[in-house]
Amino acid sequence: MSTTREPDHSSETPFAPVPAGDDPRRGQEVFAPTDGPFEAPAKTFVEGPYYKGVEERLPDLAQRSESDGESPKARAFSVDRRDLLKLFSASAVAGTAACVQRPVEKAIPFVNQPTDTWPGEPVHFATTCGECSAGCGVMARTREGRPTKLEGLPEHPVNTGSLCTVGQASLQALFHPERQARPTIRFGSKIEPSEWNDVFENFAAKLTSPKIGILTNGSTGHRHGFFKEFLEKVGSSADKLYTYDSNSLAEATAEAHKIAYGLHAVPRSDLSKAKVIVGVGADFLDVGTSLLYNTKTYTEGHSFRGADKSKHVQFESFFTLTGARSDYRHPIAPGSETVVTLLLVNSLLKNSAVKGSAAARSQAQAVLSANAALLSGAYDRVGYSEANFDKLAEEMLASQSVVLAGGSAFDENATTLQLAAILANELVGAYETVLFLQKDWLTAPVATGDLQRFMTESRDIDVLFLIDVDPVFTLPPSWGVGEVLEKIPTVAVLCDFPNESSQYAKYVLNTHHWLESWGDEQSVAGLWSVRQPVVRPTTDSRQTEDILMWIAAYAKKPLGYENYRAYLKKKWDDIRTLVGRNDVPADNYFDLVLQHGYDGRNATQVVPDLSGNLASSFRYTDTGSGGLRLVAPLDYRLRDGRHAWKPALQETPDSLTTITWDTWVAINPVTTAKLGLRKFDVVKVEGPAGSFEASVYPLPGLHPDTVVVPRGNGHSKANGTVQGGNGVNPLVAFARAQDQFTGAPVTYGQQVKLTATGRVFELAQTQKHNDIANRKDIIKEVPIATAVANMGKTQDLDDVPNLYPAMPKQQHRWGMSIDLSKCTGCSACVVACTIENNVPQVGREQVLLGRQMHWMQIDRYFAGSVEAPEVTFQPMLCQHCAQAPCEGVCPVFATSHDPEGINQMTYNRCIGTRYCANACPYKIRRFNWWTHRWNTMGARLTDRNPRALNPDVTVRTRGVMEKCSFCYQRVRDARHKEKLNGIPVGQPGNVVKTACQQTCPAEAIAFGNLLDPAAPVTQQRKDLRAYLALNGEPSLKEYGLKTMPSVNYLAKVSFTAKPAHHGAHGGDHGEAGHGEQHGARPVEKSKKKG
Amino acid sequence: MSDDSKLWSKTISDVNSEILVNLENPHPAYYVALALSVSALLVGIVFVALHFTYGLGLWTFRPPVYWEVDITNFVFWVGIGHAGTLISAILFLFRAKWRNTVNRSAEAMTIFAVICALVFPLIHMGRPWHGAIWAVPLPNTNNLWVNFRSPLFWDVMAISTYFTTSLLFWYMGLVPDLASIRDRCKGFKRLIYGIMSFGWRGTAKQWWHYEAGYGFLAALATPLVLSVHSVVSWDFAMSIQPGWHTTIFPPYFVAGAILSGCAMVYNLLLPVRYMFRLEKFILPEHLEACLRLTLLTSTIVFYAYSLEFFVAWYSGNPYEWALFEKRAIGPYSFYFWVMMFCNCIFPLALWSRRVRNNIPVAFVICVLINVGMWFERYNIIVSSLVEDFVPARWGHVQPGLWEIVITLGSFGLFTTFYLVFVKFFPIVSLSEIKLIMPKPLSSKAHGGAHHHG
Repeated sequence: MSTTREPDHSSETPFAPVPAGDDPRRGQEVFAPTDGPFEAPAKTFVEGPYYKGVEERLPDLAQRSESDGESPKARAFSVDRRDLLKLFSASAVAGTAACVQRPVEKAIPFVNQPTDTWPGEPVHFATTCGECSAGCGVMARTREGRPTKLEGLPEHPVNTGSLCTVGQASLQALFHPERQARPTIRFGSKIEPSEWNDVFENFAAKLTSPKIGILTNGSTGHRHGFFKEFLEKVGSSADKLYTYDSNSLAEATAEAHKIAYGLHAVPRSDLSKAKVIVGVGADFLDVGTSLLYNTKTYTEGHSFRGADKSKHVQFESFFTLTGARSDYRHPIAPGSETVVTLLLVNSLLKNSAVKGSAAARSQAQAVLSANAALLSGAYDRVGYSEANFDKLAEEMLASQSVVLAGGSAFDENATTLQLAAILANELVGAYETVLFLQKDWLTAPVATGDLQRFMTESRDIDVLFLIDVDPVFTLPPSWGVGEVLEKIPTVAVLCDFPNESSQYAKYVLNTHHWLESWGDEQSVAGLWSVRQPVVRPTTDSRQTEDILMWIAAYAKKPLGYENYRAYLKKKWDDIRTLVGRNDVPADNYFDLVLQHGYDGRNATQVVPDLSGNLASSFRYTDTGSGGLRLVAPLDYRLRDGRHAWKPALQETPDSLTTITWDTWVAINPVTTAKLGLRKFDVVKVEGPAGSFEASVYPLPGLHPDTVVVPRGNGHSKANGTVQGGNGVNPLVAFARAQDQFTGAPVTYGQQVKLTATGRVFELAQTQKHNDIANRKDIIKEVPIATAVANMGKTQDLDDVPNLYPAMPKQQHRWGMSIDLSKCTGCSACVVACTIENNVPQVGREQVLLGRQMHWMQIDRYFAGSVEAPEVTFQPMLCQHCAQAPCEGVCPVFATSHDPEGINQMTYNRCIGTRYCANACPYKIRRFNWWTHRWNTMGARLTDRNPRALNPDVTVRTRGVMEKCSFCYQRVRDARHKEKLNGIPVGQPGNVVKTACQQTCPAEAIAFGNLLDPAAPVTQQRKDLRAYLALNGEPSLKEYGLKTMPSVNYLAKVSFTAKPAHHGAHGGDHGEAGHGEQHGARPVEKSKKKG
Repeated sequence: MSDDSKLWSKTISDVNSEILVNLENPHPAYYVALALSVSALLVGIVFVALHFTYGLGLWTFRPPVYWEVDITNFVFWVGIGHAGTLISAILFLFRAKWRNTVNRSAEAMTIFAVICALVFPLIHMGRPWHGAIWAVPLPNTNNLWVNFRSPLFWDVMAISTYFTTSLLFWYMGLVPDLASIRDRCKGFKRLIYGIMSFGWRGTAKQWWHYEAGYGFLAALATPLVLSVHSVVSWDFAMSIQPGWHTTIFPPYFVAGAILSGCAMVYNLLLPVRYMFRLEKFILPEHLEACLRLTLLTSTIVFYAYSLEFFVAWYSGNPYEWALFEKRAIGPYSFYFWVMMFCNCIFPLALWSRRVRNNIPVAFVICVLINVGMWFERYNIIVSSLVEDFVPARWGHVQPGLWEIVITLGSFGLFTTFYLVFVKFFPIVSLSEIKLIMPKPLSSKAHGGAHHHG
């Protein structure tokens, strides 16, 4: 819903475009789609669609800062702000400045209307996501002081408007009923709720000892610096700050680069620039280092973009979404990633076209000879011949290519693998063509080795702050973190979510959700994103840093800031100098940053030659030989378990297994059969350190030795009603082991034994059938040669024989186009739709009954062999058929056709005969079997607090059918805007984006007016790749069901032709086999209609 | 009737006293049956009340199966009703005399079956409190009308017409008999039966009106036998669901309805005949005639089942053929083969006159036909929905506790009504028996004839 708008008085702003000659950044390559965040500031303003704050017209009426409870200086500040608002009065800044002093005391609807807010009109705030350290920009849409939807900040260089599943679901945590309401102090075995002042007083008494430590999660902003400052102020030292992140990829990568180049940094991978991508156990589309940036750039290069697409070859032991998108996927045994990479290095070295410096080549040669024993006979072990590697190497050297190795959870060789990958990337010349280390590299969120340091130094700590980490749950129990915490006299847990480590804590201090907090991130060097509160605190919580400040102040060791905001503001003053904005007054600058959400300048550093002695650093340890190996990756929805308490994420099906709410043990089907197991058999998984039991899910494409159990679930019942008692934590099986360089815990590749328990436990799957049952018009795929040959040719999918009179032409016919060659199955659209449309979560029991309510569902189809299947994801939603089978059968006109092509539901009229659902061939209508009350879900409490509902969308009761509405509320909003501004709906400045489209990082979804010939959706519908699901093959005069959906799909483009999926194109009639195919099996005739 | 003298050895007062015995002194089995029926009904009511309170989610069926036992029962009960109308209306017009002893109970069966059928569309709705009103085209200030294109609306019209006509037809036939009962009663009962018989005196003029009216209603009810179940079949045939979307459905459904209805008539008559000792009136020939009709419709249904497969194959529609393949050998083949055996294979035994006259065997076959017809509807509805177009959406269901209990409840409702009816109303039409009695009437002249009965 965010749109940009040209400023009316941009020349008056202090940020007027810098003359060309003066701009230090000119001529540099920037990775952001816009040329620097502040080049034309008004363009990037996040504007509420209808925001008409009075200060636009009457600056004097702008909100004063009476309600600012933050600082005594606020009044003085507000004067500046008013000046500022005068300058910006016409720019409709969406009231982002007002967030500094929220006019409401509580997050309840207004009784007295504040002057700068109109009820019913959203106010947007720019902030930065706090769910991981990727630092994506977020635009929070608030209504009457409550955030109702989070979207990616359109101009933010990291995520450019998209947001992942986790980010989308953040709102559910904000309003979660199980957030701790007050701080607690433990007295003996008794836990007592307390008041903040008492907490600070009580705590200050503990700060007499200087042995104070902080264990916290990864962050790239000023946070860690602040913690260090705090530690020094209270008498401890800065090195008592220990950082730790379950996602160890960045840590290992940074460490490897430190060894190789002496630079502790992570290269930014612009995958759009690579023609060949080789992933070795890589999960850059699942979690990776910067999920959204990777997905964006990957899709840009890997989707069919005219004449070609990049080729992605993936070697992996288990199935990731990344592997699912690859063109060639080769399953390898867990632990052989390094070997595969070295074999690739070997083949690269042999090739005469090898790139890279002489130093790199000799280093590579040295590493290969040092590890000759490891590589002897390795081709057989990895099941990929030398000739294949040579061919791959040749292809890689023929064009820009990159090797991405390692996942977010890994074994002892994580850093070693990165070293091998560095060699491979040097040899293919990936640095500074695909991997950027000189420009805008990624900053490492954690310091290397901190976890090990913490484990050894913990006995020297008297007071420990656990900030936003849950080591008890996220580290294998064999690490004994519980015992460590038990020995520390005072443990304080500062967290916004129920936490398994709290049982060891004297103080459990509830902190602000990130939507209530101040903060910042610098995930990309030189790019600073600011985090600001978008809502008044909903519970009696405090900002983490403010708690520390208050504790210090009570201990008579004040830090010298009023609050963390003041600290940040000071820090941002330095950034102001850094980015060369000294001409702007400090207060104005910070406010402008708050409106933008980020600022920065392209950072550069000199990357020295490969200088480290890699051969001597290269320490590969074989973690076992053969047998079943347990892999416990971060679940892309629940991550390490910190998101498990959000029902929207629990209920979002894992795209590959479509399982919700549970933990599963995925094994190769062949192995499953060999072990005498069946689907849903409960097995006991015995690892070196312990065992757990979970249901078997036979997943094609896994290496026969791999046992995959995702992390995230397995919280204790006491931990909360959403996640409590759900699934198991696979970490219990892992013996204590760590990466040899970084000390990150090993959660990958340890040997396990599987024993059947004889019990069966059904997993709550949303899709029960995997094969496509020979259906040809659901998923279509074209070989790239055909796609290229058909470039520029068009078709008219809507030109079919029809007995019905044509619908009168309107100005709009809304349509959607979904590109199957882009969809990665990341499920962000599912969660975005859920949040936008108030779609309830129904709980595990109802999902077992197939009664999930998702309006958007990702269908997954396997093709090919069980050993190495091809996966296609198909986002399925209401197809908004022009001749909808559901509409005719409703006895009460509860579902009807909009003149603009939208199939509408009138919830009030629906009596629930469910005939429409039976008649729908796509079976994507959802019935409310219950009144899904907004705070309960069966026996479980949910967090769908009514306050978190989107007031633009009706809440449905039981007995009513519902389905995708194409986000009609957004179309309606655009229409209102047209009336107000005169910008026609669909034109730049008034573009309608559906929630799923808006958040899709792969930009697989296009939505718009099919009657507008210039609209991307119209262009895509005309493409020869376009087809309508279940509507046959129009080019062969087979019209299928003739439902004429407004949603079309674009056939997947692949490097290989697959006869079973073939038939998407009219242009490939001549191909051998085609005729026979259609001859062999009676084609569907258009008997259904007409 | 060649053997009139043998059978009708009764006086008019014999007819009255022997048929109306049910009003005074039923067999003890009657009370057992009534107790069972009422308990089944009560349990059903409790479950429906719970389902109204908490929502449809209590049922076991689930997407992609949005209709299951609810609509199965609806179609089943509507079908049951058809034989009653066929026997009472069409056979009346054709002057088939065997109908006279069975038509009353067949008509009552129709009424109660339609009541049972009406329950299901109502309770299967998500919001019956709205649906009961909004599904009917009532004038309203919002000018909101029903969707006249919707087969469900046609259903509403068809079933309500059918119910009204059947009720009038049935009650009209009852009036002379109610008057006979009135004449035999005293006190309060006499008052009630007096009110119910609308002051029938049996005058020639009254009989003249009666005959004209009865004939008219019979003519009105006749097309309904064909139309109602055709309309019900359109509930399925009008969608594009494979397995539903076929033109063969209307005749196929009508034949199936009459098949199950005749079997049900047979199943109901026998216990009643036994409990109220009506062997003298409901003769084996009557029962056999009922079985002949059953056999005829069974063969029609057999043909329809076979033709469906042929059409599915011949059409070349892959979705249709895939579905029929799965019907026969897929996860729902059990339902399919129960249907085939009960509706088509077992009734073949009825070709044999020996079997037709062997009451226990014929009774079992009729029970099996009713089971088979229930399975047929379940099969059509569920097996078409479980695996249709998009494989990702496939899913299976089996009837669960809720479905079973509510089905039993509907049987309880039906049998309770029926048992109350047989206790308070003449189960064999007195007036029609009297009409076909041979003349002259002399019990003395045929004193020994009852040995043959």
